[in-house]
Amino acid sequence: MVNDLIIAGSISSPTVRLDASRGVMELTGESYPQNAFDFFAPIIEWARQFLREGSTPLCLELRLSYLNTSSTKCMIDLLDLLENAHKSGRSARVAWFCDKENDRAREAAEEFREDVTLPFEIVLEGPGQ
Amino acid sequence: MRAQALDLYGLRKSFIDGEVLICFNGPFSHSIIEEIGIAVKRYLETETTSRSAVSDVFAVFVELAQNVQAYTGRLKDRKDEAGLDAGTLAIGRQGNAYAVSAGNMMDQAHVGALALRLEELRAMDKAELKALYKERLRGPRLPAGGAGLGLIDVARRATRPLSWSFREIDDRYRFFSLSVII
Repeated sequence: MVNDLIIAGSISSPTVRLDASRGVMELTGESYPQNAFDFFAPIIEWARQFLREGSTPLCLELRLSYLNTSSTKCMIDLLDLLENAHKSGRSARVAWFCDKENDRAREAAEEFREDVTLPFEIVLEGPGQ
Repeated sequence: MRAQALDLYGLRKSFIDGEVLICFNGPFSHSIIEEIGIAVKRYLETETTSRSAVSDVFAVFVELAQNVQAYTGRLKDRKDEAGLDAGTLAIGRQGNAYAVSAGNMMDQAHVGALALRLEELRAMDKAELKALYKERLRGPRLPAGGAGLGLIDVARRATRPLSWSFREIDDRYRFFSLSVII
């Protein structure tokens, strides 16, 4: 069984809560860390292990108001993992929560959704919800 | 050493005349980028009601600042020139729009390739830029550590064509300056 992983957020990196028993990966905040590849490596590795073991459904819950381009590339890698799992019959989905007043955040989520076929819900919320 | 005190009034006047809201000159560290980023967002949120404009200015700021930081980091071991590790960044108004400008010293050997990339981006429309962005998203990571996506993202958010210059400093260096209107 994969262990839970929690990474405290900072100004430029999201709070990360990866909950193995619930099968939920939560990323909340903004993402433009000094080195996005280093930041995302343990998160991607966690997802890889989680999907390799067991059969618990996996949900990626994102509240990311901004991702820089390096983080976007890492997010594509993470989504590709979930997409492949979905294609091979594992339950995997994405719920992307956006501030309804921030069109750019919604557009970014929509662009990610264009590239995958797994269930991908974009939820518009009021600010601060 | 210095014969005259810094002309602070002259500096101030050129900021006001150039409608500069925020300016930074010096070595770019990650924490400085974070701090300026907070200031940029706070300032813009009081000035404009458009969340999209705030997002675009902030995003362009982050990509340009991280490019400057990465490139000046490559030059910082060269002790032969003063100011190689310093970048210059300004965020200001241009009429009803915002301008984000960033500059740094650049080895003239690197100028040609960058100029070519910028020319290519300037010739593309938004749909072509999106297609290129998506193609690069799944491409290999570049040796410099970046994803090669930053300038494409900046071009996508710009509301007018990118403008840039390479100012000759000496035999070896140029000052590269890029300005993005949002």
